Amino acid sequence: MTETQAKKILVIDDEAHIRLVVEIKLKNRGYQVITAKNGQEGLELIYSQKPDAVVTDINMPLLEGDELCRLIDKLKKKRPFLTVVITARISPQEQAWVREMRDTQLMEKPFSPSKLVKCIDDYFERQSS
Amino acid sequence: MDLQLFKNFLVSLSQVFPVNFDFRDIKGSVLFSGNKKVSLPISRGLERVAGQVTRQESFQYLRIEDKYDLFGVPVLNNARVVGVLTACDNGVEQDVPGPKIYPAHHMEQLLTHLAGLIEDKLSSMDESEKLAEELAKSFEDLNLYARITPQIKTLRFSPAKLEELNKDLLESMRAQMGFAFMPDRPEYNSLITVAEIDGKITQSSAFIEALINAIPPDASSLVDNYFIVNNSSQTPGYQKMHAEPFRFLGVRVRHGGKFYGWLGMVSFNMKEIFRQGEMSLVISVAEQVALVISNSDLYRDLESFVINVGKSLVFAIEAKDAYTRGHSERVNRYCMLMAKHLDLDEDQQKVLNWASILHDVGKIGTPESVLNKPDKLTDAEYEIIKAHPLKGYNILRPLDQLADSLPGILYHHERYDGGGYPRGFKGEEIPFYARIIAIADTFDAISSNRAYRSAKPGKAALKIIKEVAGSQLDPGLVEVFETVFHASLDQQE
Repeated sequence: MTETQAKKILVIDDEAHIRLVVEIKLKNRGYQVITAKNGQEGLELIYSQKPDAVVTDINMPLLEGDELCRLIDKLKKKRPFLTVVITARISPQEQAWVREMRDTQLMEKPFSPSKLVKCIDDYFERQSS
Repeated sequence: MDLQLFKNFLVSLSQVFPVNFDFRDIKGSVLFSGNKKVSLPISRGLERVAGQVTRQESFQYLRIEDKYDLFGVPVLNNARVVGVLTACDNGVEQDVPGPKIYPAHHMEQLLTHLAGLIEDKLSSMDESEKLAEELAKSFEDLNLYARITPQIKTLRFSPAKLEELNKDLLESMRAQMGFAFMPDRPEYNSLITVAEIDGKITQSSAFIEALINAIPPDASSLVDNYFIVNNSSQTPGYQKMHAEPFRFLGVRVRHGGKFYGWLGMVSFNMKEIFRQGEMSLVISVAEQVALVISNSDLYRDLESFVINVGKSLVFAIEAKDAYTRGHSERVNRYCMLMAKHLDLDEDQQKVLNWASILHDVGKIGTPESVLNKPDKLTDAEYEIIKAHPLKGYNILRPLDQLADSLPGILYHHERYDGGGYPRGFKGEEIPFYARIIAIADTFDAISSNRAYRSAKPGKAALKIIKEVAGSQLDPGLVEVFETVFHASLDQQE
């Protein structure tokens, strides 16, 4: 990390082991990580903690990932940040709505943690250049 | 270190208890402290105790100015001292009356128990991080498997797919060279080298070949189809391969007793190793690759078999009748001559080759009495004849290899003016190969004997062909045919 202040990443997933893996990978990469167990919790953290990137699952209790993305899309007009959506299967419908969202990328399960980290690295690199 | 709960706990303890607890790392920085204020002699004393604890790695007790008792215990993680937990009397500062000296062994016990709790927490944090790393690696493996399996399912495994697979493996195993080496199937050979080792190896494929050739044939791991070199500088036969030490993994691509070649990778990064899980992955990938190659071979053989059966049937039917004998072969020859003049590439020529040789395969289902009838056909008989392009199409449709040739077969009786069958397509609507075949087919019909009329010589046949250009046949292609006729056919007729 070249930044003086570590970027803050929010990881939203109802499955603990996925949260753990993503959290450790990102922490070891020098990011600051906060986690949420569902979309509702995630949404609150997006408002209160203003993360620099969000990694979210699609199928979650309380608030689903796609709905969450639609809710936060307007926020990105003022303060752009990356959302990586992890989905069980990339379908044309899914690709279609993701294209509509600002700074949103799809990643298919089973995902590669290193590719996820790289995707986030690349985003910040593009931002700083 | 995420020890917020301990910090809270020790601070609260220091508030209700006449004892102050500090936790510092081995460099002496206080990580957290229950002390609000500490006098200089005491804070210096605590530093001294911490220093002694770090050196001795055991409980230390120090009395300073004859009245202040200071204690310290080490906090270990992985059998190394990572911090020091210290305690002192905080009544001293506030001048609280009462005993200020605690029995050292009671304090030792308390501190040791507290340190034990912190150690537990540290080691379980370590443990869960290690597990998360392991889990992350399985995620990588799963991801790789998930990307590979759909490719394995296909019947048409291609060199391009193997190249992709090689790239995926190389990337996910963080190696520097990835290879597929198939001596008898060089089309599948693939060698990828990452940019970071550019210039390290000048003759990459020769290097890989040498590595494979150096595998001792009696190596015990070959029972499981792999051979691994963890450090080339310590492996007999590999020491002189390169000035720098490297790691090498070679896995046999083999299925059902048939050996195809080797799949594997090389890395000069000696800080990492080939993990067990990764190795099993490459082994299973190699197994699957062998399986798909053998499946594609079988599939191809089967298709060629069916095509050849079709071809034989057409020839057999034609051979029964002196008038049509050799027709399909001649049509095929005319088409291929035109293909050369049209500058068709190899793939296009292949498509036209099969379409022209099999264009009449539908006649398999047409009664001979109709096919070879010398008299004029009745309407009903003509309808039967007209069905042969569709019959041929239906016979060959299941064969993927012929997919591109099917339109040429189905539409070879369409007419340029739209008056043909089965669809009545017009002009350019008629598939290109069908228009070529139509010319060759018509020419051969005119220039060879038929049950119902005698042959016209080549020149006369060409004249008729030219007359129907624009009505029955594509005029542009008829011009091509004319060129071909003058260049190659005229002399032989």
